[in-house]
Amino acid sequence: MDNAENKKKVGTLKKITSLVGGDKLVLIIAIIIVFALFTAINPNYFTWNNIVNILVASSLIGMVAVGHTYLIIAGQNDLSPGSLAALSGVLMALLLSWNIPALPAVVITLAVGAAVGVFNAWMVNKIKLEAFIATLVTQAVVRGFAYIICDGKPVSISNPAFIQLGKARVFTIPVSVWLMLIAMLVFGFILAKTKFGRSVYAIGGSAEAARLAGLNPQRIVTVCFVLIGVLTSVGGIVFASRMNAGQPAANINLEFDAITAVILGGVSFSGGVGTMGGTILGVFLIQAFNTGLTMINVQSFWQYVARGALLLFALTTDYVRKERRSKALLEASMQAAENK
Amino acid sequence: MESVLEFQEITKYFPGVKALDKISFKAYGGEVLAFLGENGAGKSTLLKVLNGDYRPDGGKYLLDGQEKKFHTPHEAIEEGISVIYQERQILMELSVAENIYLGRMPTNKLGVISIGRANKMAQKIIDDFGLSISPSTKVKDLSIAYQQMVEIMKAYSRENLKVICFDEPTASLSDAEIDALFMIIEKLKAQGKIIIYVSHRMNEIHRIADKVAIFKDGTYVDTMDAKTTDEQVMIKKMVGRDLGDIYEKLDRDKEIGDVLLEVKDLSSDYVRKVSFSLRKGEILGFSGLVGAGRTEVMRALIGADPMRTGEIFLEGKKIVNKSPRQAMENGIVMVPEDRKQQGIIANLSVSGNINISLLNRNANGLGIISSDKEEQEAEKGIRDFRIKTPSKDKKIVELSGGNQQKCIVARWLATDPKVLILDEPTKGIDVGAKSEFYNMICQFAKQGLGVILISSELPEVIGLSDRIIVMKSLQMSGEVMREEASEDKLLSLGMIGEETNG
Repeated sequence: MDNAENKKKVGTLKKITSLVGGDKLVLIIAIIIVFALFTAINPNYFTWNNIVNILVASSLIGMVAVGHTYLIIAGQNDLSPGSLAALSGVLMALLLSWNIPALPAVVITLAVGAAVGVFNAWMVNKIKLEAFIATLVTQAVVRGFAYIICDGKPVSISNPAFIQLGKARVFTIPVSVWLMLIAMLVFGFILAKTKFGRSVYAIGGSAEAARLAGLNPQRIVTVCFVLIGVLTSVGGIVFASRMNAGQPAANINLEFDAITAVILGGVSFSGGVGTMGGTILGVFLIQAFNTGLTMINVQSFWQYVARGALLLFALTTDYVRKERRSKALLEASMQAAENK
Repeated sequence: MESVLEFQEITKYFPGVKALDKISFKAYGGEVLAFLGENGAGKSTLLKVLNGDYRPDGGKYLLDGQEKKFHTPHEAIEEGISVIYQERQILMELSVAENIYLGRMPTNKLGVISIGRANKMAQKIIDDFGLSISPSTKVKDLSIAYQQMVEIMKAYSRENLKVICFDEPTASLSDAEIDALFMIIEKLKAQGKIIIYVSHRMNEIHRIADKVAIFKDGTYVDTMDAKTTDEQVMIKKMVGRDLGDIYEKLDRDKEIGDVLLEVKDLSSDYVRKVSFSLRKGEILGFSGLVGAGRTEVMRALIGADPMRTGEIFLEGKKIVNKSPRQAMENGIVMVPEDRKQQGIIANLSVSGNINISLLNRNANGLGIISSDKEEQEAEKGIRDFRIKTPSKDKKIVELSGGNQQKCIVARWLATDPKVLILDEPTKGIDVGAKSEFYNMICQFAKQGLGVILISSELPEVIGLSDRIIVMKSLQMSGEVMREEASEDKLLSLGMIGEETNG
């Protein structure tokens, strides 16, 4: 290969590489396409009310996706949030039914969420299990406890203040949505700007190199698991308040939607790469898609197929991005090797 | 007709390294062509390009005038190009005949495999080779040499075999077995095959090869006659530089101070009772064979592996390093050998990598990182260590190996260490960057740091160190001062050992 040809190749690849940063643009375009399509079929889709509906419906997925953003960047994963959200809702409803005031009840429920996170981290750090398998254990066990503590029957909620949590609006936007947005912004800031955030990226890039550089990967992984546990519990509590009940069978496949959203948003399944901004767009996209399917009366069985297809799409884009990165890397290496 | 294999400007990149640089030459049938070059010169990479393991980033190769492009080694074998590797690639549980005809066993009309016919065909090849094994023997019951023969027979059994390459085939063979191998190579040569033979052993090259192709740092240097060319001439072409000068020019004008680090009876799961001391401004070399425990001593010292017994004193005070972080806080840091896996953090930028151990210093009470401070540190590192990068925000993996290594050194020097441990710091780094590193290491010592240098390159460890500790089988086997160090002495201490009085 002669030099001129070489340079030309490097030039085109630079153009492609700059598109990597344009991932968010792609997501925004995807959201616009989804809105255009569903509005064309059902004009009620593009209304303020429906957009708020989409946001409300995405609030639980959004909470969990914030946690998954940290975990997957750190090179881990969690399949237990669906079960934990259900357990949190049931537990909260039960505690209220025993006339325990709302605040201590919330604290207890969040503590359970944190404990589940510690348990997941313990399996990953100490028994050295793959997060995928370890959290599958938790998924089953926690779902089991959600049924056990309420004897399999939904627990209704009558505490008026607590019901308000799911209904109240601030500046016309429901509290559940505010909570999600606050979580996204706060943890987005922490991820991008703080010591902890940087450590998460570092261990996702190479846990051993990070350890030798003075970080403590096991502790960082533990914090990430506790974070997703607590966020999931918050989401589960708010969800129960919206439903006026804690339901042990609720939130199945929650982690599925959250992981799809995070990967769509540009977090790499192999760790070390991604941003909270991408996750926010990913969450909105997936819920806009799910709500749209319901609004155009797609049978729920087919919705499962559609979700699977969406995850496949997300993983494919993740793969394409990775290929693109390694190609850009190779080009850069060629240059570095030439310039030495 | 005589076959011709022609390489035209073959180029191959690995991240940060140009592994093959426009390799062009020809190999002819009926000739044994040896590949000669240092480790990392590109010999094995070229073979992997030839047989479809790697695809070249530039250039092409032609067999008998036809351009070949393979996606897998299997495709190469189908077209008559076989590479015999050091590690055997045969199936131990199958018989000799089954291995030879793997994937193309003779069958009857119904598609049922006929073992009898396979054995008969295999027996013919075994006779050709003049061996005394049975085609129905399981390969796992054969000696390593015979297992290798099976591989060669497998290649030989292809009627269209044109090129056969041997990558260090004699590494685990006895003299008698080497004789048998060479006989077969002669036979293949008489049949007009193109034979490529990679080896470090000069006497073998003289014996079997007709021509020698010499490689250096990923480039093809020359092809010479194997029988008539002087060994020294070949080596000179292969090294093409005199490193002696580099060491002579180093700045050794420094003072060696008080004892800085004292390690007493250190043991871990991997090493036994190692004791040594290090002075301020001293460069202490650690020599020995790969696997002698040098890295493991340092890993225990910095708390990367748990220390089972022993004590560490730094400036007379007893310290404990339970983790690399604690070691860093105490002032002992290590640049690890495996740069890719343990040194760089591949997804972070140059700045991110330099600053990763400074997170506490760069962040405020809330843990928010000051981008100003990071920028300053990154720019200082890039300036002080002359890191060649277009920007501090460039991903570290996009730099060349030497510049990546400089980033790791910059990371550690920014923590103001007292003891700097360098584990094979110049491995996989090109010659120019090497001498830059040597100057840097001398500067560190001059500034009063205690430097521990682990190196498998004897000239490097002798050229740089003030004192050298030799390790053998997870223990210290000797200690040599710079003045009395020679390659022979270090090698014999490392391979044969001596009673240690430490």
